[in-house]
This record gives sequence, structure tokens and C-alpha cells, in this order.
Amino acid sequence: MPELRKEMLTGRWVIISTERSKRPDDFRTPEPVEIKREAAGFCPFCSGNESKTPPEIFSIREDHSLPDQPGWKIRVVPNKFPALQPGPTPPKKLRGIYQWMEGVGVHEVIIETPDHNLEMADLPAEHLAQIIQVYRLRTLSIEEQFHHKYVQIFKNKGKEAGASLSHPHSQIIATPIVPKRIKEEIYGAERLYRNHFRECAFCRMIKEEMASKERLVYLNERFIVLAPFASRFPFEMAIFPLEHSAFFPDITDHDSLYLADALKQALSRLKYQLSNPAYNLIFHQSPNPQLAEKAWPGIGAYFHWHVELLPILTKVAGFELGTGFYINPVPPEVAAEFLKKELPA
Amino acid sequence: MKKILLVEDEKSLSLLYQEELSKEGYEVIIAYDADSAMEKVRSEEFDLIITDIRMPGKDGIELIASIMGLRKDIPIIINTAYQSYKDDFMTWAADAYITKSSSLDELKQTIKKLLKEN
Repeated sequence: MPELRKEMLTGRWVIISTERSKRPDDFRTPEPVEIKREAAGFCPFCSGNESKTPPEIFSIREDHSLPDQPGWKIRVVPNKFPALQPGPTPPKKLRGIYQWMEGVGVHEVIIETPDHNLEMADLPAEHLAQIIQVYRLRTLSIEEQFHHKYVQIFKNKGKEAGASLSHPHSQIIATPIVPKRIKEEIYGAERLYRNHFRECAFCRMIKEEMASKERLVYLNERFIVLAPFASRFPFEMAIFPLEHSAFFPDITDHDSLYLADALKQALSRLKYQLSNPAYNLIFHQSPNPQLAEKAWPGIGAYFHWHVELLPILTKVAGFELGTGFYINPVPPEVAAEFLKKELPA
Repeated sequence: MKKILLVEDEKSLSLLYQEELSKEGYEVIIAYDADSAMEKVRSEEFDLIITDIRMPGKDGIELIASIMGLRKDIPIIINTAYQSYKDDFMTWAADAYITKSSSLDELKQTIKKLLKEN
């Protein structure tokens, strides 16, 4: 019998389809092929091609090396052809009965390493911790502008996940509105905090998951990796700080190392246990603090930033798009059991 | 006279562009697909390349990647009817991305800017 499971924050339901259930080994994907256009040997993110990107905003680079020249380790540049354009606070306008506004915001690209052939999972934890600190610093800088209401940090890896280049990179888009998906999580967290748990719902969930261990994939001193109870996708994972924190930029250098360790563990399990599928890595954080405490008083107590890791192993089709219900053919408990296996040395 | 390679599979459109840009004082050589464009890049000198993306055979982005493998110093303008290719980071190899419109003003201004004629 399939099971319907409710995601407690957003109220979204998923179908855990045990009858359609596949063995975890069935999800081993063929080795990914390099995106064909790179076969010609050119990549705008590679060291030596800095002139093909807009001037860098930030970088971690060798002493005495110059901006927009080789010698960098991590490089942040504005998107050359951005989804949203920089500019002043746009007013909301009406077109007939419809609301619209100018597409103002921030769109940046973080080039994670000069090495085209590495993947995020291959980077040493210390390097990953530096990428996390770059995310933090860029978020803080972008949030200085009040109208950048939400900062979305994300990574698309692999063509099926929306990546157009295999050179390791992630992106930041800041929007002049707080996205609905984030609002749903905030409202859900507030409701559970006030009406049910009297504590952060995420903290409560972490306690329960640590006690049951059914969906636990990996744990270090500061972070936990879980296969969420109502996972939408096979082998979906989420990473939470064990200590309550609503605002991702509050992460310390010390904790960045622990997040890097948890992230590397999660990514390596996808790479080595599932033969390296495409994935989306998505940070969920509180909106700009200049706005958050006014719009959602007490948000610091009930929201808890986290990271979603969504492997692309199934297709989203008409039913999912029509209903918002997802069908997941791998129970999260089975996924966790499979993912937590020791990695090859 | 500055020499421009125009890569455009629609014949009527390419002839219109050739006529318009010739009036601006440019010599315009047309290639109707990526392979013949590459042949021309190998055998002739160009000051600037304008390329469409959707073409039979190799697309414009593959063409740009191939040009980059040969030389990186020729300014390239993507001239396409589609905004959606902006999501493809390989378009960063180009110096400008223009969405086709009935007016060629933006294209002409971008050519001038890239050839530093302003």
C-alpha cells in the first residue's frame, strides 16, 4: 500500500509509492557525459579566460596575483547576462488586474575552483568551507540593500539539473520579493512554534530524527544530514545545523568547516553510491534581516536555515505539476539506509 | 573597412543585415551554417562575428566554442530571437547578446562599441 506523507512546514503531501518501489541499485545512473559544447575545449570559467567574464566582485586568490587574472582559487562575478538587473527599489505596478514590477535584483556566479574537471564533491573540506564563507560574505553584502529581500544560494550540477557548464559553479540570485516557497516555510514554522511545539519545529524534528535514526544519513558535531520524512525525490537529503540558527550568515568559520564536512559527505554519497547523478543544491535561509523581524516578528526563534540536496533521478510530470503532490518511489528510510553505507576508501 | 562575418541561416534576413550593415560602412561576409563559418574563420581575417544560435547542424553556441578553440580575440555578438539562451553560460564566450528585433539600432550600436568606433 502506498503511503501519503505530509511535509509538516509547508503542508505539502507526497506519495511514497512502495508498490512502484525500486531497489536503490536501480538508480545507479550511467556515467555522466561532458556537456557536448565543452568538447571544443573552451570554458569561460577556466583560469586564463577571465576576460570572458565580467570583472570579479570578490575572489580568494594567491598573494600578489591581480584581479581578473589567473591565480585565483574561488571567484565571484556578476552574471554577464543576468536574470535580474541591478537597480533601485522598483515599485509594484498594475497592468489591468495584474501586478508586475521591473526585474531588479542581483545575479552572481561563484566559480568554485579553477579546475574544470573537479566536482564539488571532490574538493577538500577546507576548500568547501571557503566556498561557504564566500556564500556568507556575498549574502551579507547583498543584504545591505534593503530591497534585496531574499538571497537564494543554489547550485545546479549536471545537465538534467539545469547546468549549462560542467565547470564547478554555484549561483546567487537576490529578489525584490520574498518567494512564496520561503514564505510557506516561514508561516508553517511560525504556526508549529506557536500552536504545537513551543519550540522551533526544525529543532524538534532534528531531536526526533536523532533519536529514531531511521532517516539519518550522517552526523557530525555541528550538522546533521537526513533523508526528510516527506521527501519529494528519491535520495533527497537535507542538512541542518544542530544548533538553532535562523540566519545563515551567522555561521562561523569553525561551523563552516563542519558544514563543509557534512556537505562533502552528502555529495560523495550521491557520487559514489549512486554513480554521480545530476543534482540541485539549495540553501533555505531567512529573508533579509532588515525586513524579516518586521514582517515576521520572532522569526529568529522559529526559523532554522538549512540546505536541500535534490538528486535528479525521476521526472516531474503532469500529476506533480497539476497537484503539487510528488510521487517518490524510494521510501526515505530505504534511501537513508543505502546512503549511510561506508564510502569506498 | 572593417570586415564582419555574419552567421545566419535565414537567407532573406542575412541579405537584409548585409545591406543594412554595408550602408554603415562594413564589409559583410555571410555564412549560412556553423561549418562554413568555421572555414571562413580559418581562412580569412574578421574584425567581428555576428552569429545566430538556432541553425541546422551545429548551433551558434557550439560555433562560438569552436572559434574560441582557434582564437579568442575576435569580438562576437550573439543575435538570436530567443532570450532563453542567456541561461547557458557558454554564451559568456560572446561579448554581447542581442535579441532580434525589427530595428537594427541595438545591433549597430553594439558593433560600434565592440569595434571601439564611438
